[in-house]
Amino acid sequence: MNITRRLLGKVALGLAGATMLMQFPALAADKPAPFDKPGVKIALVRYLSTGDFFQAYLSGVEAQSKALGIDLRVLDSRQDAALQSDMVDQAIALGVQGIIIQHGLTESMKDAAQRAVDAGIKVVAFDVNVENPKIPQVEQSDRDLARLALEQAVKDNGDSWKAGYVYVAGIAPLDRRNETWVDVKKKYAGISEVAMFGTLDNPIANSVANQARSVLSAHPDIKVMFAPYDEFAKGVKIAVDEAGLNKGIKIYSADISTSDIAAMREPDSAWAATAATNPAVVGQVSVRALAQLLAGEDPGHNVVVPPTLITQKDLIDKDIKNMEDLSAKLPQFAHADVAMPAWMPNPNAK
Amino acid sequence: MVGNAVFRAEGLRKSFGQNEVLGGVSLELHAGEVTVLMGANGAGKSTLVKIISGVYERGDGTMGLAGQAFAPNTPAEAIRAGVVTVHQNINDGVVADLDVATNLTLDRLSGSGAPFLFNPARVRRQAKAVADRMGLAIDLKARVSDLSLADRQMVAIARALAHQPKVLILDEPTSSLSSAEADRLFALIDRLREQGVAILYISHRMSDIRRLADRIVSMRDGIISGVFDKKPLDYEGAVNAMLGRKIHLDQIVVRDSADIVLKIDGLRIAQGAKPISLTLGDGEVVAITGLVGVGKTALAETLFGVRKPVAGTMVLNGKPYAPGSTGEAIAAGVFLVAKDRGENGIVGGFNIQENISLPFHKRMSRFAVLRRRLERITARQQIEELGIVCRSEKDEMSALSGGNQQKVMVARWMAQDAGLFILDEPFQGVDISARRDIAAKLRASANGRATLLFVTELDEALETADRILVMSEQTIVGEHRNADVDLDRLLAEVAGGPLHSAA
Amino acid sequence: MTLRDHAIRYGFIVLLFGLVAYFAIAADGFVSPQSAVFIFQSVAITGVLALGVTATLVVGGFDLSIGSVATSAMMAAAYVMVVLEQNALVAVVVCLLIGAIVGLINGWLIVYMRVPDLLATLGMMFLLVGLQRIPTEGRSIATGMTMPDGSVANGKFSDAFLALGRHRFDFFIPNLIPVSVVVLLVLAVLIWFFLEYTRFGRMMYAVGSNERAAELAGAPVKAYKIWAYVISGVFASISGILLAARLGRGDIASGNNLLLDAVAAALIGYAVLGAAKPNAFGTAVGALFVGILLQGLTMMNAPYYTQDFVKGVVLVVALVFTFALSGRGRR
Repeated sequence: MNITRRLLGKVALGLAGATMLMQFPALAADKPAPFDKPGVKIALVRYLSTGDFFQAYLSGVEAQSKALGIDLRVLDSRQDAALQSDMVDQAIALGVQGIIIQHGLTESMKDAAQRAVDAGIKVVAFDVNVENPKIPQVEQSDRDLARLALEQAVKDNGDSWKAGYVYVAGIAPLDRRNETWVDVKKKYAGISEVAMFGTLDNPIANSVANQARSVLSAHPDIKVMFAPYDEFAKGVKIAVDEAGLNKGIKIYSADISTSDIAAMREPDSAWAATAATNPAVVGQVSVRALAQLLAGEDPGHNVVVPPTLITQKDLIDKDIKNMEDLSAKLPQFAHADVAMPAWMPNPNAK
Repeated sequence: MVGNAVFRAEGLRKSFGQNEVLGGVSLELHAGEVTVLMGANGAGKSTLVKIISGVYERGDGTMGLAGQAFAPNTPAEAIRAGVVTVHQNINDGVVADLDVATNLTLDRLSGSGAPFLFNPARVRRQAKAVADRMGLAIDLKARVSDLSLADRQMVAIARALAHQPKVLILDEPTSSLSSAEADRLFALIDRLREQGVAILYISHRMSDIRRLADRIVSMRDGIISGVFDKKPLDYEGAVNAMLGRKIHLDQIVVRDSADIVLKIDGLRIAQGAKPISLTLGDGEVVAITGLVGVGKTALAETLFGVRKPVAGTMVLNGKPYAPGSTGEAIAAGVFLVAKDRGENGIVGGFNIQENISLPFHKRMSRFAVLRRRLERITARQQIEELGIVCRSEKDEMSALSGGNQQKVMVARWMAQDAGLFILDEPFQGVDISARRDIAAKLRASANGRATLLFVTELDEALETADRILVMSEQTIVGEHRNADVDLDRLLAEVAGGPLHSAA
Repeated sequence: MTLRDHAIRYGFIVLLFGLVAYFAIAADGFVSPQSAVFIFQSVAITGVLALGVTATLVVGGFDLSIGSVATSAMMAAAYVMVVLEQNALVAVVVCLLIGAIVGLINGWLIVYMRVPDLLATLGMMFLLVGLQRIPTEGRSIATGMTMPDGSVANGKFSDAFLALGRHRFDFFIPNLIPVSVVVLLVLAVLIWFFLEYTRFGRMMYAVGSNERAAELAGAPVKAYKIWAYVISGVFASISGILLAARLGRGDIASGNNLLLDAVAAALIGYAVLGAAKPNAFGTAVGALFVGILLQGLTMMNAPYYTQDFVKGVVLVVALVFTFALSGRGRR
């Protein structure tokens, strides 16, 4: 778990900053209790916090909390599983009404989550399975991420091509993305994977670039590179550029960041499309799902935040240069219509 | 007073390769008696001790202990038979991180009879018994690492005595003790003597020897060169037997020098040491002799800028000389062939040529790039000059014999002209022919510089020097022109006692 | 020379050629000028690091901080250009300064504070991994990023800087040799010449083999040791510059993999030509060896963990060559 989120998605700082600065209208009076008055206390109990993804996630949580007039406490265990479990108890002692558990280990968090539920506190969990029917699971859909990217690949290149695939087994989100790749290969007999490679040696992009160089010289007939993680895609792009093959190969990936946008926008860039979920949106959805529970509504057990497809064409046509532009000009990226009952304030609304 | 010998060795021999270290040594130790073993470095003392204590296998000869044959194959066997050795390095005898009680009983913690569980109460009980028997007043709970050196030494000896030995061997036990600390040790040794332990005491320190010895055995070149047991003991005779007198005075044509190269005035090399004043002249070879530990190396290092003097001035060729580093000393023309070449001289990763050029890289390079041709020519020249036996200048140092290694060390510094050439124990671990070669070379090339040798062995001084200075307790106590040396006076000065005391 | 001597001396080179021959047969497209250049390019970054660490190995030390010096330099280059909006020259100078300063501090800790080399540089490694994240609060640096204070960084990697990673020189075939390969080759020749032919290099070996003897031969041993760490730091920062130029952004990373690969290359270098000591030529061959191995294995679709395994095997074999067979390892 530890590695996975750090790996995934270096995303959406611009969005985070922008949303934080926004002014929100005074609270409407027509919200259900307890949100009819400001000052509802919730806690965010984090397992992972360093890295772009987690910064952006936090900013989303903060933005939605502010829009709801929530008093947010952030408890950060910095990858200490035992401490995270203790922090849930700490939150209970603080008298919060709701808790968001962000990542962690099932083994250490399952009991802690149950204690919170027993104390009458509403709980949602993001990206950690606490095996509790009363706790909604907020997740981003890795399968959808891979599916969107691959559908675009088929759309761009037809259904018969030779592919290079970047994959490291044993990393949960990559494994889920891999399932989709396996399905797609089954569905289109014309798609053949001639090379599979990948490494997590850091800096990852550099190591993957070295591998991709070798793969490209062994298999000059590769038309499509599927690199379902932006660090992989970055490495593949470096290799493709270095080999001077950028006009003959297209790269499809997952996740997005400002530097990824710059890489995709380069003239004749091989990086054709990526699919991404906005971590700030995931943060917002986490708070909204919790708010629904507190208001006595049911957000459903699985709250899935849908990804957005971002193509090179989008970026160029709409002149998107960074994550702020992306949120501003690609509304589906800035906001997900998930856990949005009519009374729910939208922190992204202008 | 003298009973039958508890320990007896007959005709012990030992060789390492072709090098015979012990050439038939016979030795007796008596109960309730301290036998002092004297010998210069390389005389074979430590080899003898290691054979008795079971570290080395003996080459030839027999040993007996209390009337029975004694042939230990391991140190443990020797200890079990009743021969216990406390080695020179105190920290070898104790485990610094454990407390005193555990140290005293350490040997009972292992071995076949040892109990599986560590029982602190029993350990302390046993330790107390050991400490009481020796009159040891040390907190048994203290960690050894917190103790003074003397206390550690006591613990090491007490630990050895926990075996109730018949023979106790002490190898230079006072070498790192202060005199007050040494007094405590002597009191302990007196006590053991009364208890009937036969003690073999190895030391260079005349004060120790005068205080303790019932008998003195001198060793030289792998044989016993003298046994002294008539009271009063003939200390000078013992020193004489140890240092030897096989002198070939006719080989030396003594030179006197008028031109002063180095003048030392009031130099004190350690706190509390008496000042040293001396002059060295051009073309002169001067040897400073004295027993181990009298400050010879300290003086050499002071001259070479390794350590700073406490007080005093030096003038080199008319200019004030106070080197702040070895580099400055070399730049001023002062070279040192350090003692213990393995430790201080040989660069193991380098071949002969690279070892020779080491101090003079700057002079052998152009724009910082080493001139390898010049390096090679120099090395070949030095190999030729000193008669270094090797296949080529590219040979590894490890392929050379000790004597040839030492020649390389000397050659390293003779490749350039020195103002003052210092050699500290240059004949250590060197066979006789290499020693003659080096000495001859030193004398032949002596003009144009002052040459200063530090040697423990008197022979080496007499064979090589024009003048001999005697050092004792960190100062110069005597001076002799090497023409008709008053050996009695010289030996008395070396032994550190009043003149002709025993005669 | 006996057969055994020959085996020790040329064994590793023979192994290298054997490997090339095997891949030439087994992997299509392995033998081509481009492929050769790929290999050099892929080892350029770790190779430069390895050459630097060789300098510290020569004086009997070790530098664990090189990986994090490289990534810190990469972050610094990105910060200077993207946030401070300075040009390529400033970025390069800042990186080199960082390397030199870290080297000085390492040397000072080891020589004057008497901290054992492994511990001092381990501490420095952690320090740098943390330090490189402080200015951006743990974010990677890219054009358009939002700074902790909410402002947007609008500088960009200058073309001149990116050229360090992307420009190619013509060499018989147009656009063949990348700048990083040229940098690697130049630095390799420089450090090789420095260590083998100058009096400074010779004395560094003496310090590494017998410090006391070197001091008694008049060498300022402390200064030599500190210089070795400065060399190592500066080389590491050069490798960081190449990394930044290749990636085109400042990526937070510990650089531990860079460190391990570099150290492996330097240690493999011990075995080359039976040197049994750290040496620049061996290090370069060691880096190349690893590069060829990884290129070949990747071309044959071997997954990443088998590559680590093979790397480990090569290292162990090299160490056996050095220490057991030659019998010169005991110093």
